Parts: sequence; structure tokens; C-alpha cells
Amino acid sequence: MSEDLSSSELPQTDLARRWYIPYEMELMRRGAILVILICLPMFWIASLRGDGWQTIAMGLAGGLLAVWALQQKNRDIMLVSSALILFSGLMQAFFALEVKVAAIDVWYSTITVALGGGGLWVLSSPHMSRWLSSRLELEEAERGLARNNKLSPRWKAATTHAILLHFVVIVLVPIIWIIDVAFSPGQSASGELGISDWTITHFDAVLSGSDFWTWGLNSVIVSIGTTMVGLMLAIPAGYAFSRYKFSGHGIMMFSLLLVQMFPGIIILVPYFMVMKTLGLLNTSLGLILAYSVTALPFCVWMLKGWFDTIPRELEEAAALDGCTTFSTFWRIILPLSLPAIAVTALFSFLAAWNEFLLALVFNTDSSMYTLPVGLASYISEASARWGDFAAMSLIVSLPVVLLFIFFQKSLIQGLSSGSVKG
Amino acid sequence: MKYFFWIILAVFLLPVVSAQSLDVQSDSSAAGFKRVRVSVEIESFSGNGSLEFHVSETFHSAVVIIQGQAGEMTQPQVGEWYDDCWTSNNSGLNWTEIHRDENGQAHAFYSSPQILSIRCDLTGISQSKEDNLSVRLFDENQELDRIDTAIIALTADVLPPPPDSSPVLFAIGSIALTIIALFGYLRWKDRKSMNRHGLAFVLPAFLALVLLSFYPVAYGMVLSFTDAHEESIGDEEYNGLENYLDVFTSGGFLRVLFFTLVWTFTNVIFHVGIGGALAMLLQQKVRGKLAYRTLLLLPWAIPSYISVLVWKGMFHPEGLVNVLLGTETDFFSGVTEAQTMVILVNIWLGVPFMMMSISGALQSIPEDLHEAAKVEGVSDWARLRHITIPLLKPTVVPLALMGFIWTFNMFNVIFLLTNGGPQLWFGEPGGTDILITYVYDVAFVKGELGLAAAWSVVIFIMLMAFSWAYTKGSKATEAAV
Repeated sequence: MSEDLSSSELPQTDLARRWYIPYEMELMRRGAILVILICLPMFWIASLRGDGWQTIAMGLAGGLLAVWALQQKNRDIMLVSSALILFSGLMQAFFALEVKVAAIDVWYSTITVALGGGGLWVLSSPHMSRWLSSRLELEEAERGLARNNKLSPRWKAATTHAILLHFVVIVLVPIIWIIDVAFSPGQSASGELGISDWTITHFDAVLSGSDFWTWGLNSVIVSIGTTMVGLMLAIPAGYAFSRYKFSGHGIMMFSLLLVQMFPGIIILVPYFMVMKTLGLLNTSLGLILAYSVTALPFCVWMLKGWFDTIPRELEEAAALDGCTTFSTFWRIILPLSLPAIAVTALFSFLAAWNEFLLALVFNTDSSMYTLPVGLASYISEASARWGDFAAMSLIVSLPVVLLFIFFQKSLIQGLSSGSVKG
Repeated sequence: MKYFFWIILAVFLLPVVSAQSLDVQSDSSAAGFKRVRVSVEIESFSGNGSLEFHVSETFHSAVVIIQGQAGEMTQPQVGEWYDDCWTSNNSGLNWTEIHRDENGQAHAFYSSPQILSIRCDLTGISQSKEDNLSVRLFDENQELDRIDTAIIALTADVLPPPPDSSPVLFAIGSIALTIIALFGYLRWKDRKSMNRHGLAFVLPAFLALVLLSFYPVAYGMVLSFTDAHEESIGDEEYNGLENYLDVFTSGGFLRVLFFTLVWTFTNVIFHVGIGGALAMLLQQKVRGKLAYRTLLLLPWAIPSYISVLVWKGMFHPEGLVNVLLGTETDFFSGVTEAQTMVILVNIWLGVPFMMMSISGALQSIPEDLHEAAKVEGVSDWARLRHITIPLLKPTVVPLALMGFIWTFNMFNVIFLLTNGGPQLWFGEPGGTDILITYVYDVAFVKGELGLAAAWSVVIFIMLMAFSWAYTKGSKATEAAV
């Protein structure tokens, strides 16, 4: 029995030696591709600077050479390409120190030095050199296979974190910048970060000036008005669409969908004409009417979806107990639907709070601006008050962002099912 | 119930059309509205040169100044060009229409040592907004000789009287009555069923929908055949297909259409690509998944106009992007750079939505499929290609169409970042204008509402055609697979 086992094991273990590729090879392959990828934006930056493309070209050559050498398992070329990458990173750091250190140089140098140095380190290990010259012992190959199994998920997770962190940085940089501008003195859009000179003068100016309160009040009136009008129209309609199959049911549902598909621009010009003729320009009512009907189809669809999940038996029981149609709706269905109504309300509130184009076209008088148009007016071609803008935009967006994050799950569900972007 | 739709269409198109043909009088001679008269006196200047008007740092128009006699150039009458200009060689005592060459470029002639006066009515000035006017005089070598600035305020002081609202009220009233009558009829038809109760619940919403959505759309289509202008609302007259001819023959049409398509496709491809990749990364077992997800969601949670303006500040010549990249570039000076930047900013804005939507779809893919494939030793890449992507397709295909329509209609990003510039000449689309931002310019800067309505209809038809072809195409590929 034991003899049988050992005889069947023998070719397998031999296979292990033939199959074994050190995980370092995979890492170096990924590293080489990474170097090529980071060289592409660096070339663009070098072209903006009008200088320094030679070092990047060196890095790119190293990366390309490494890919080829890894394919060929050519150790000498691998060493040369690693050295090229390492040298490119060092040169970049050296030149940046001479002129001015920018974050992007630090980023490029760190990655290339780490990868190039790592490549040299890995290639000079005895294990790798034995493997490359096919002098690896059987036991070592088996241990290597086990090690690969352990290393692979770790490096995978590390790669995921590295990619995600890059995206997080890209997301956070503008936010950090605007916070810095809000707290820095002066009205310039300076790129110098630092908390040493932070003051709250801009917040002071914004909160004690009249702009913020006027525009904020307009925005609050318009958003709350939109929510109220929208809900008053959408709740009964959603309920009826869910429960009754009256004549014209299908065509009315279809017309809701159709409105959803109208691009805003086709409505913009005639809206303007109608509002102007009716004297509704520069009023809150004009915006409320326009917004509530824009959000209406989505609200109706979302509420209909909710009402569909409420069992009909509830209403039948209520009817048996002598409730009229309206009181069934009012006393039984509405209280059950409060969560869905809250999310719909939040959606129409946020949509109205953030809308820009209609507010820009309809309310041209600065005392009737909503916050979006008012904030944008701080940054005009003639004069840009970046400090005040930054402070006010932090005050405006903080509650919105918190609401969004707090309700993200239900909002996202509703939004992606109803196909509307906030 | 097919005829139901046509009844609605017919009954409410009727009053719209009749409202248009009512002849409403209004004072169309109210000059000054969205027009500013500028008089410039130039003393002690010799040789040739040019005079430029800039409104809020945007080039508006120029007059070429030539020392000598007027050649064979024509002197168009008032109203033939965007800007009416006059010159005078005796301190504005008698004005004569300015000379223009075959391209419409204005030329002012003088013989030294006289004083030269130039007077222009600048069109397209926003109302109720302070604008900085600067007049720049350049000498023969294109070098700035002198500059003078002024502030234009309150051009809305000379607004024409508000237009008569009765035709619109009449149209709205008759539509409302028609709808109510229609619901009455439907209720009578359903009188024997419980379903009749539903109609009363739907009526308010449907009334609002028809009055505030269908009526304006129909009105817009009617408008596109008229010469409606912001200066003379209520005074429209039909001009047939003239607006549509204008749209298709206007200089920038193909250029704007091309950039709109580049803008839309690039954005959608990157939104879906990056969003999908991030969704798949977050689908794995990663530590701090919730933190990553929340942080990556921020561009969607922040109001988009704020993010766009923040990016505008970041791209400022002294802004953070230049500091981080160690460059000193004005990112919005060249057309290609500006186009790249607006697209990058919009990619930043749009990725989270796609990420979350695709994330939702990924969660609905059964785990077992992947487990089974893993046991069989299928590689990550093959699993992505043969399991994940085919199962994502039913979600991503309509999502991409939605993204297409939104991006096509995305106004905020370009309006706030570049306002269509660079190379923004009056009456022509700028380097980064897409269709929708250009329509805004036509309607609310130039004030040509009829022409803008025609542009809107053309855009609408293009979007409809694209959606139809896309749905058709994706169904065909589905069938083939």
C-alpha cells in the first residue's frame, strides 16, 4: 500500500518542480506593468512642464524591458531593467529637489524606487537565482508552492487596498482643498495647503452677511414647497396606480415614463416663455411648480412600488369594517407608508436643493437667487471670492452630504430602481 | 385605449396653436434691453489699429481702425448685424453707419489729426447682472495701447412691458377643462366598477403633468417655427422652417455635435469602466469596505455645482492641481486641454453612481456560480469574462443608456467650468460647448428663443433616435448571444 502511494507520488512531485514559479515573478510582472502605467500620466505632466521627459522615458524603457525579460526569464536583462527603473525614480527625485518638490514627483519616485529596488533585491536572492538556473531542489520547490498559496491572497488584498486608496485620494483632494480655502485668510484660490494660518473670518462674513440668509431662505422655501406639492400629487396617484385598474391606466403610466425621458432642455425654453408670460419669473412659486412636476414621475413610480408590497387584505378587512375608500387610504395605507414617503420626500427635497439650471434661468434677480445660483455668482469672471465661496459651500453641502450618507441605502435603492440621478 | 392618447394630443394641441396665432401687440421698439450702447472717443492715436470690446473678460467684438479713406466696403443698415456700430469724425455730432467688409468685420476710418468716435450697441448682455466692460485699443503691432473699463449694471431698467398673459391662460384653462372632461367621461365609463375611485386620486397628478410637462413641450415645438425673441415676447410670428435651416447651416453645428458625442461617449465609457472596476474591488473581502464605499460615494453626495466650482478653483493657474503636479499651466487656455479637463471633472462626478448601481447588480449574482467555477480551477479573469460580465449585462445596458442621456444633457459642468470657452466669440459656440450649453447661449444670452426651441427639438429627436437604435441594437445582440 505504502509502496503504491510513493510510486504514484513521484511523478507528481516532479511536476511540482516543473510547475513551480516563485511568486516574486508574478509580483515583478505586475510591478513592470504598473511602471508602464504610471509613466503615461507622467509623460503628460512632463509635457506640461516642458521638461523632464528623459527620466520618465528611462522608467518606461525599464518597464517594457522588464516585461520582455520576464517572458524570456532572462536574469541579466531583468537586473538591467530593475536598475533602470530605480535610477529613473532617483533622477526624478533629484531633479525635483533641485527645482521644487511636487507631490506627483514624490509619488513617482516612491513607486519606481520601491519597485526597482525591490526587483534588484528579489533577483539577487539565492532562491531566485537557483530557480532561474533550474537548480532548485525538490523540497524547496514544494515549500515554494505552499508559500505561493499563502502569499497570493495577501498580495491580492494589498493590491486592492493600493488601488482603492488611490481613488480615495483623488476623491478627497478637492474636499481637503476647499476646507483649507474656507479657513485660510484672503479670497484667492491658492494651492498652498497648511493649517498654520487658519481663521474663521470667512464663516463669520458669510453668516453675518445677508446673502446666505436670503438665498438660504429662498432655497428652503423652494425645496419644502417642492416636497409638499410633489408629495400631495404623487401619494394619491401612486396609490391609485397600484390599486385600481381604471380606464386609461396604461396610457397614463406610459405618459409618466415619457416625461421622465424628456431632456430638460426641450422644456427649458417654453417653460421660460410660459413663466415669463404668467409673471412667475423671480418668484419661488415658479420654481416650485417646475421642480415638483419634474420629480413627479419618479415619486409616483417609487411610491407605487411601495404600495404594491402592502397586502390588499388590509383594505378588504377595512372595507368590511365599514371604511370608505378615502378613509382606508388615510387611516391604514398612509401610516404604513411613512418610510417610503420619507425617502421620496428626501429625494425631492435634495433634487430641488441642488438644482441649478432652472433656478439660473428663472430667478435672475439676486434677491431671488437660490443657494446654487448664489454660490456660483461668487465665482464670476470679473471677481472670484474663493474664501467666502468655500465657507458657504461647506455650510451648504455638509447637511446634504450627511443626509445622503445616512440614508444612502434607501436612496440608492430608490434612485437606481427609479432611474433618476440626484 | 389607443385613441385616448390621440384625443389628448389633439385637444391640447388645438388651443396651443390658436393661442399662438392671436396677434398680441407689444412694444418691440424697447431698445436697450440686453443691449448696451457704448461710445468711445479716441484721441491722439495714429496709424492703424483695432478696438476691442470685452464683456466680463470675454471677447465680444472688435472694430478695425484704419487711417485713410473708406474703400469699397458697404455700410449695412441698423439691424443687419449683431452689433450696430456707428462712427463719427467730429466728436459725435453726426454718426454714420460703420463700414463692414464681406465677413462683417467692422472698420472705422479716420484721417489724422481728427478725433475718432465709435459708438456700438453691444448685444447679448445679461440682464440684472453686473458686467465688467473693458474697451481695449491696440496699435499696429497688436500691442495694447490703452484700456478703459466701466461697469454695466441694470440693463433690465429698460425692460419692455410684461407680455399679455391671456393666450397662455386661455391655453392652460382649456387644457385643464379638457382633461377634467376626459376624466369625467372615463369615470362614467367605469361607473360600474370600483376602479372608478382611482381616477379621482390620479387627476391632480395627471393635470399637473399635462399642464407643466406636455403643454410646454408642445408649446416648444410650436415656438420652434416662430421668430420668438426675448426682447419681444408675445410678438412671435411664424417663419416656417427658417430656424431649422439656421440650426443645420450654422457654422458651429457639426463641431458642437462632434464634441458632444466625444464628451458623451468618453464619459459613459469611463463611468461604466471605472465604476464597474471599483464595484468589483469592493465586492471582494476587503477590510474597511464600508469606509471605502462611503468615501468613494462623496462625489455623488456633494451637490454637483459645488464640486464643479471647487475643481475650477483647483485648476486655477495658482491652484492646487498645479502645485501637486509641479506645473504652471492654465488648464483652460487651449481648446484640447479645456476639453480634457471638463471630461475629467465629469468622470470624477459620475463614477460613484455607476459604482453603486453596478455594486447592487453584483450582489444579485449568486455566490454558488463563482464557488463552482473556483473549484473547477477557473482563473479570475475567465470568471470575470464568462460569469460576471454576462450576468451584469442586463443591468449595465439600460444603465449605460441612462448615463448617455444624462451626460448628453449635463449642463452644470461645462457651464460652470468654462462657460463654453475658450475661443468664445459672440454668436458662435466655444471650444468646449456641447449642444445643451450652446442652446442656453442661444436662448438666454442671444435671446433668440425661437431658434433655441428649434435646437431643442433637434436635440430631442437625436436623443430619441439614439435611444431607439440602442435599445434595438442591444436587443439584437442579446438575441444573438
